[in-house]
Amino acid sequence: MAKFPSPEWATAYKDAINQNAAYREAGKDWVHGPVAMVVKADPAIGLAEDQGFVLALHQGVCNEAEYVTGLEKANVAPFVIVGDYARWKQVVRGELEPIKGMMQGKLKLTKGHMPTIVKFVEASKQLVASSARVPTQFLDE
Amino acid sequence: MEPQIEMAPGAEDNGLASMLSGLIRQNLEDKPHKMRDFERLRATVAIIADDAGVSLTLRFDRGRLVVHDGIVGIPDLTIRASSDDIMNLSLVELVPAPILGALPDLRGKVLRQVGEAFVKRRVKIYGAVANVPTLVALTRVVSING
Repeated sequence: MAKFPSPEWATAYKDAINQNAAYREAGKDWVHGPVAMVVKADPAIGLAEDQGFVLALHQGVCNEAEYVTGLEKANVAPFVIVGDYARWKQVVRGELEPIKGMMQGKLKLTKGHMPTIVKFVEASKQLVASSARVPTQFLDE
Repeated sequence: MEPQIEMAPGAEDNGLASMLSGLIRQNLEDKPHKMRDFERLRATVAIIADDAGVSLTLRFDRGRLVVHDGIVGIPDLTIRASSDDIMNLSLVELVPAPILGALPDLRGKVLRQVGEAFVKRRVKIYGAVANVPTLVALTRVVSING
């Protein structure tokens, strides 16, 4: 079981994405570069600074999932989605669909081209479905 | 000419408002021919995402759009749907049409899904009959296609 967030979780997530045939199909036209998922700092649960993952996605394949610390490192990606720990935990558990989360302001697209995100809404759902397949240990449990 | 799109006070915290204003702005920047519809639109459109518990009002005024949190004023059109179906509205396929520019593609997969949601009352559009040109222009401005 991998701690979320951590480098181990990133590796397991990459594998889960690549094992998801539905993502491979939904994301097959994605040529728009990496997507970063950023968990905002929360010292109360031991997250001293922003942490997250930069997913190198291309044509339905995740070539790399890099664990990063600090928002600056995530901001190299053309798409950056930011949320607090509780929200990402809901996403990883499959309890919060990311587009709905963005509509509710629980997750924010702080960088990126909104029409592209909308076009790949099914791919984003499959990324979430992949995350739910990663055996995860949460920091606050 | 850059589209004039503003968030009314309080709308910045409404995620759907941020998404739709960003979507419309980037659509108009990517596809300047959509500016013609944007400059003609003069209407108040309310959108309610039932499952997300979020609502907003788009006030179009001939080349200017102000996005409000919640429902403001008396809408000409009110669209009530799930968050998925609202996203689908921005994926509606458009086909070129003489004189009119572009119209929703009646054979398009997404429009068929929206039609099915409409029949099953998952999507409700109030005021559509009296405001067909507004609905078509809105679809052209919001759709990432066309």
